[in-house]
Amino acid sequence: MSPSATSDDLSLEARVRAEIDRAILRNVKGLEYISAGDPPMGLTPRDPVYSRGTLVLYRYRPLASEVYRVPVLLVMSLVSRAYILDLAPGQSFIEFLLRQGYDVYMIDWGVPRPEDRHLRLEDYALDFIPDCAARVREDSGEPDLSMIGYCMGGMLAVLYAALHPSGPLKNLACFTTPVDFDGMTLFRRWTDARHFDVDRIVDSLGNVPPELMYASFEMLRPAARAASQIRLWDNMWNDDFVRSYRMFDRWAADQIPFPGECFRQTVKELMWENRLRKNELVLRGRRVDLGRITVPFLHVMAEHDHIVPYESAKDLVGMVGSADKRDLILKGGHVSLVAGPNASRRLWPQLDTWLSERSI
Amino acid sequence: MADQTSTSPDPLAAWREWVSQSERQWNAFLNEAMATEAYGQSVGRFMEMYVAMQKSMADAMGRYVTALNLPARSDVLALGDRLGAIENRLAGIEQRLAQLSGPAQPQASRAIQSSGPAQPQANRAIQSSGPAQPQASRAIQSSGPAPRAEEPAVDPLRPPRTKRPPGL
Repeated sequence: MSPSATSDDLSLEARVRAEIDRAILRNVKGLEYISAGDPPMGLTPRDPVYSRGTLVLYRYRPLASEVYRVPVLLVMSLVSRAYILDLAPGQSFIEFLLRQGYDVYMIDWGVPRPEDRHLRLEDYALDFIPDCAARVREDSGEPDLSMIGYCMGGMLAVLYAALHPSGPLKNLACFTTPVDFDGMTLFRRWTDARHFDVDRIVDSLGNVPPELMYASFEMLRPAARAASQIRLWDNMWNDDFVRSYRMFDRWAADQIPFPGECFRQTVKELMWENRLRKNELVLRGRRVDLGRITVPFLHVMAEHDHIVPYESAKDLVGMVGSADKRDLILKGGHVSLVAGPNASRRLWPQLDTWLSERSI
Repeated sequence: MADQTSTSPDPLAAWREWVSQSERQWNAFLNEAMATEAYGQSVGRFMEMYVAMQKSMADAMGRYVTALNLPARSDVLALGDRLGAIENRLAGIEQRLAQLSGPAQPQASRAIQSSGPAQPQANRAIQSSGPAQPQASRAIQSSGPAPRAEEPAVDPLRPPRTKRPPGL
């Protein structure tokens, strides 16, 4: 573990000695780091309630002796792995919810297979999510449920809520959910209709390969990878830092394919035409009007979000028709907002305060 | 990291600060460059090349496996499509059967109808049958020495839905 160098009168000599100790530890730990396998993640006990294709609806085993009446359904993004919300014991958003007394379900979309290339936004908002909501109601025995959506999962939850205003949704919380795609400056530039032939990409590749998704996210902060490697070396003596680094690094690199038709739709109808912001998105002949969302609504954004910038997320709360609605801007980035030590101090308690009084 | 309370200077603090500043500056500089139309064009060209390369590789591989009398990727995808269609039809049949058997019954009420020693849902239903008085029922359970036999056994997987937020 780290050498202790905390006394106020630490001399320069002792400081240098501590740095030398750390340098030695870096080498020892560095060898361990290279030879170590992937850290285990997503360990909170859960049971599958329903599966369909790659979709699995899980119910997490309760950790409290009594739970709130209204179950919570987590809707994950299509472009990342679900275990970001269940990193490790003590750093798991799901574990936190369970300990606070929520009955937690989660939709894990799984890894899209080649035959899933036809899936579109309407399949998620009008078929899969309503199907899972019905399963949650049946399994829990409760007539309503709360939804929490992260990133694109938030967008899917919003689409669902707007298209099912009569229920059974009771509360909707979204984290870093984009609605105004004009605010995603870099993504818009890279998918400029004059140069980016999305039809050819989808028609040729089917699903968008995970390496392309990974590269596009990495390009948003091109220097971050090198800097994080330097920080890793600097903190190699610190087991906590290394453990946390490995978890986040594994999750970031563990990208999944993006269903082809959904990608085409996202680029054309959201990036190019910004239809969601204009309330002009039409799914299976039904217009998505966010003003039809009337359930209690919370939107939490991250101050330093480079993937879903504030400009692309800030209008959501204004577009929603709920009387009981609010948004929050918390310190952190796109991922650190929901996972890690900062999230456990900032976002999680805020969400609990908001949701608990609406879950009875 | 360096101890902030120390009176002696951290020999690496300046270097760490430099790393952070450099990262910010490089990100800002490269983001600016990547927000230009020229970069957008280059992304488009890259994607064209990438797709063309993938396609030519797939074609070559397809010809190769066909020559070996093996199923090509397109054959496997076609099978996957057919399986997916079967799954969807099964899901549809399942939904219709559920609709035919009436509206989905909550587990609680179903559990009431069932009997036998394992009745976690029934227990939950019993506890939640008086939704306006969950606190009261809890108080009764905790305050009085009620006979154990009359207390419903709580299934840890299905705890009662009686929790209230602090202060309410």
